[in-house]
Amino acid sequence: MELQISNVCKSFGEKEVLRDVSLTAQGGAAHGLLGRNGAGKTTTIRIIMGVFYPDSGKILADGKPLDRQKVQLGYMPEERGMYPKKLICDQLVYLGVLRGMSRSDAKKACEKWLERLGMSEYSRKKLETLSKGNQQKIQLAATLMCHPQLVILDEPFSGLDPVNAMLLKDVINEMIHSGTTVLFSSHQMNYIEEFCETISILNAGKIVLDGKITDIKRSYPRDRIAVTSPQFEKVTSFVLEKMSDQIITADADETREKTAVFRMKDPGFKSRLLSEIARGGFDIDSFQVCEPSLNDIFVEYTEAGI
Amino acid sequence: MKKLFEVFKFEYLSCVKNKSYIITTIIFMVLILGMTLLPGLIASIQTSKPSEEGDEKKPVVAVCDKAYDGNDAVKSTFVKYYPDNEVLVVDEDIETIKQKVDSMDYQFAVVLDTPTAYTYVTKNNSFMNSGNTQINEAVTRLYRTVSLEKMGVDADKSSELFDAQIQMNTITTGVDQTKNYISTYIIIMLLYMAIILYGQMVSQSVVTEKNTRAMEMLITCARPSHLMFGKVFGSGLAGLTQLTIIIATALTSVGTIGASSIPPQILEFVHIPLKIALFALLFFLLGYFIYSFLLAAFASLASRSEDLNTLITPVMLIYVAAFMIVLMSMNSDAINGPVMVVCSYIPFTAPIAMFTRIALADVAVWEIAVSVAVQLVSIYLFGMLAASIYRIGVLLYGKPPKPAEIIKLLRGQHKQKKSVSME
Repeated sequence: MELQISNVCKSFGEKEVLRDVSLTAQGGAAHGLLGRNGAGKTTTIRIIMGVFYPDSGKILADGKPLDRQKVQLGYMPEERGMYPKKLICDQLVYLGVLRGMSRSDAKKACEKWLERLGMSEYSRKKLETLSKGNQQKIQLAATLMCHPQLVILDEPFSGLDPVNAMLLKDVINEMIHSGTTVLFSSHQMNYIEEFCETISILNAGKIVLDGKITDIKRSYPRDRIAVTSPQFEKVTSFVLEKMSDQIITADADETREKTAVFRMKDPGFKSRLLSEIARGGFDIDSFQVCEPSLNDIFVEYTEAGI
Repeated sequence: MKKLFEVFKFEYLSCVKNKSYIITTIIFMVLILGMTLLPGLIASIQTSKPSEEGDEKKPVVAVCDKAYDGNDAVKSTFVKYYPDNEVLVVDEDIETIKQKVDSMDYQFAVVLDTPTAYTYVTKNNSFMNSGNTQINEAVTRLYRTVSLEKMGVDADKSSELFDAQIQMNTITTGVDQTKNYISTYIIIMLLYMAIILYGQMVSQSVVTEKNTRAMEMLITCARPSHLMFGKVFGSGLAGLTQLTIIIATALTSVGTIGASSIPPQILEFVHIPLKIALFALLFFLLGYFIYSFLLAAFASLASRSEDLNTLITPVMLIYVAAFMIVLMSMNSDAINGPVMVVCSYIPFTAPIAMFTRIALADVAVWEIAVSVAVQLVSIYLFGMLAASIYRIGVLLYGKPPKPAEIIKLLRGQHKQKKSVSME
């Protein structure tokens, strides 16, 4: 299913929360929804879920207005919470039934997901007796148990230990492969880079950047080259000597060991730099164009404030 | 509709399975059993008492006669009024009497200064003292007996006149309040407690859902109005279940144990006609819906249990005021007075006021019909209003909004609904 948000505006009283927001998430892929705190992510999600009405604009599924009675949606809110004093299986079945499943289907799905997440033994326990990470897994089960065609995950990894994070990664990848549309909101950029092909960055209620991550990164000037070598100091002085007219700066990279970063006047000098270094006969481990990290891009687009 | 029913079922079961709900029900059942057993127990203790009492000394009432020169009537009159005391006619000066009263030799003393004036000597004069009326009566009777004797009517004859028993027969054409009063009082108390107890159960459960953030999940699974109506109906049925259990316990225990242990006069007082019971049920339901919708709406604006009390205070104040008005009217014998008549058409006061009037006074059928109609319409309106507030409230966190802000939000929502439905 292709989810399309087109020209959505939303105000609460005087406050404009969303201004002409549009984005598209493809089926069988994950789309990252990024933005600082208060940028309007949760409002966007709630509009998709039908909790708020947009002031204007449309939510489309495969080009037609989203019918929430027919299309199953799964949403894991960032603010986690279910009934702390109720049995886990009871509340999972309840939420399943509320979302239109039959009681027996809900029971089956509940068992299936608890088993998939390694939580079967907790089925008849109260939610409050579980650790935070395990409660989160229960919430994930509640989100996914009705086979949603669109899954919205808000900070799904926060609070999970590495093993559970692996489990969640597998589950997300499975969903993507089975054609589910995943909308992924997180501040942990490494997860976004890992799962999402496309992203949208919201800032102060406006989409400030939208598209494929690879395209976005390519759009930055590719004028910085990182060279890793055991002899990186010699490489630096050699390059400065040979190409002083074309190199603006040459610094040691603080984040990587034995790496020098050269900034060139023109990205086109890349091949010349490579051949110069090769001619020098150095022991080279890697030679690559420095791409901006998603983190850098995020900061660049949202620093301006809200 | 299916979702509404699911919410209703879930809410009902979670109420009924709740530990405090079960414990309260059991406590009430035990209390009722105890209360039906109690009169029998007390009676059995009292009947066994006199056998031990023989050698006990009766408290002394001293009468210092300065007015009648040792007339026998002094003693015999006081003995008549104080059969459980030893009446001593003494001739002591006031200081001695004071000392003896102070040292508890005398329970109290009466100094007859003249036939129509006396001094009452007591250790502690309590606020609730009703002793004086009895002494007044004794002194008055003594004065009359002695005076009549002087006129030639002997003591036996005068005492026959004084003790004449008047028989009274009452024919009630309307409602007999004397019989209904106590049972109505009990039902009104129950009605009052039940409406607000279950109403608060609803508001507490709304805040818990918000506080635990379960609402974030629920709101995406069902419409807020379904969530609210399901909750109100579910808790209402849970309340009804509890009331049914309690009343059934009361009826069976009074019917079985009570029949032998409770004196018939008391049974007659607590007897509740079926008609009144059915009206109580009707007005419980009406009152419950009126108040629980309001409480649910206000509770949805609170994000923490601490805010809840502040938010529902206005509703509670109205409720307590309604109850006070009814109680005051009952006590001042103005059950069909203008205040009560007006109150029985105001939705906030109607459930209790109208019920009280039906139970204790004569009310025309059309009056009941109008009152019920007013309440039904208000339930519908409050329900709609509560659903709108709920929709806004459940996702608001932080400081509860001010009334003006709520109205603004409600207006905005109304506009949006219109524009959405136009699409």
